Amino acid sequence: MTETIMELKDVWKIYKMGEVEVPALRGISVGIKKGDFVAIIGASGSGKSTMMNLIGCLDIPSRGSLYLRSHDISTLSESDLASFRGRTIGFIFQQYNLIQSMSAFENVMLPLEFLEYDDQKAAKRAREILALVGLSDKMHHRPTQLSGGQQQRVSIARCLAGDPEIILADEPTGALDSVTGREVLDMLHRLWENNGKTIIMVTHDLNLAKYAHTTIELKDGEIMKISENNEVNKK
Amino acid sequence: MKLNKCSKHAFNMVLHSKLRSWLTITGIVIGVAAVIAIVSIGDGMQQSLNAQMNALGGDIVTITPGFERGGGMFGYRGGGGGGAQATTNQIVLGRSDVQALKGLPDILLIDTNIRESVNISYLGKTGKVSVTGVDQKVWSQITTTTILTGRMLDSADQNVIVIGGNLASSYFSQPVGINKMVTINGGSFRVVGILDDQTTSVYMPIQMAYQVMPDKTNDIYDTLVVKIRDQNQLDESIANIQNKLMISRHVTQNKMDFSVTSRKEMQQARAATMSSMSNFLLAIAAVSLIVGSIGIANTMFTSVLEKTKEIGIMKAIGARNPDILLIFLFNAAFIGLVGGILGIILGTILSGFMPALMGGLPMARGTAIVSLNSIIMALSVSVIVGILAGIIPAYQASKLKPVDALRYE
Repeated sequence: MTETIMELKDVWKIYKMGEVEVPALRGISVGIKKGDFVAIIGASGSGKSTMMNLIGCLDIPSRGSLYLRSHDISTLSESDLASFRGRTIGFIFQQYNLIQSMSAFENVMLPLEFLEYDDQKAAKRAREILALVGLSDKMHHRPTQLSGGQQQRVSIARCLAGDPEIILADEPTGALDSVTGREVLDMLHRLWENNGKTIIMVTHDLNLAKYAHTTIELKDGEIMKISENNEVNKK
Repeated sequence: MKLNKCSKHAFNMVLHSKLRSWLTITGIVIGVAAVIAIVSIGDGMQQSLNAQMNALGGDIVTITPGFERGGGMFGYRGGGGGGAQATTNQIVLGRSDVQALKGLPDILLIDTNIRESVNISYLGKTGKVSVTGVDQKVWSQITTTTILTGRMLDSADQNVIVIGGNLASSYFSQPVGINKMVTINGGSFRVVGILDDQTTSVYMPIQMAYQVMPDKTNDIYDTLVVKIRDQNQLDESIANIQNKLMISRHVTQNKMDFSVTSRKEMQQARAATMSSMSNFLLAIAAVSLIVGSIGIANTMFTSVLEKTKEIGIMKAIGARNPDILLIFLFNAAFIGLVGGILGIILGTILSGFMPALMGGLPMARGTAIVSLNSIIMALSVSVIVGILAGIIPAYQASKLKPVDALRYE
């Protein structure tokens, strides 16, 4: 766990609200190690969503630089960034963000289609991943026909389809009850433990942070504290 | 993303916004159907004209009193208008003109015609039809119409007539058959022949016609129909006829008091009028297609707005800008394509009714023809229109920032 997979160097993100400039992140510098389970915590308005967008390569910093596997993402074109994102990062959103008009299977196929997988290979992969999250029997259900927990499992399956190195989870249990929330976290934990994924989870819930190995605490756009929880370790 | 996947997603988008897609498609359907129907009637008229031009009649020249340039398309059927009548106008065609023409080697046959609208009755039903008195010795050799049943007029015929196909079949409550007696302006006539056409005209020996048309004067003709010897010498023959008549009628080129028109010229004039008319109608139809394309653009803008979040999701999981662009372009093209196909079907059905709708116009006779060309044209135009209408919305969709798009509710 020594290689740094992502590095933020003096990253600023400034939003313009009319004439006023609002800094959401103020000179963040942090490195995320390959294979780590990181929780980014903070109250609302602390800048954690902004940080998550930057880490997810959905946005680029206003100042400073962000290296993902030694690529400076602010130098990539939009399309290159999209492909890079598709190959490297898998997203799990609070509201699942599944495409409503597609079945669970089609949702999982989608990232593979963007990555231009061979059809048969993609279908095989999608079936395997859906089996992994325990949804083999619900493959052809639409999101509206699935419970919240099942939808989040579909979104985890979609996130895993392209076999990304980094899994970025934005309040993954935010819309779930405590039991299903726990199941989802256990699943993330297993992915970290058994599959060697780097997991970055953004949450406001301090209880969830206990699952993570490293906790980055944000306040007013700055890092207050980085702590390691050595009780959480790979077995 | 591969092209086939883009088109699959685009097609699903069409399927999942059924009502809006169908409403938009309807706009294109109407536009394409209008274009197809109008082009088909134009093509149909063109083809029937071509057939007429290639058929018999290229060697027929018509001489009418009075001077009308070109010979209007309606003029032929009217027989040169009122100027032909001796009572209202001194400019007439008479025996001396026929005598003069008989000396011309270019001319094979001369048929003398008079024509009037007269009362006709059959089995108690009455009506008004156009009766033409013809020189029965030559008429059968000059006319381009053929006999369906019975026979043509014969030189010995007296109180007999040959009638048009529609007059025989549907004008009266009962069909008029061979050897039936028909009353025309009080005189009784026996039907000896029915023509293979769709007219209500009546042909009778000219001497009988003078008797049933009290306004006409003996040996004054409304029209001289001339068959020339050599079709390839048409222009020279027309010139010779004009010269001969100018001399015999003592008029100069500038004061020419008669018209010589060939059937070819009349048909060409008709073709020109028809083509400008169908172009005009086509322009109107094209307007509805443009309106339809604005509908596509509108739908696409709405669709981009509605799908903003999905676009954000797709971008987050690896969709590149060109992928999004293509999905939306294909969506617009599909709407155009489906609209085009349905429009062609509707247009083809409509084109069947077009001749009936335009039945009042003599030039619209003939059938509508939906040609492969117009189908290909309509399909490619509707797809291109769809793509053009979709370009700006699709570009907008592709340029959405993933962060903003994901936040959109």
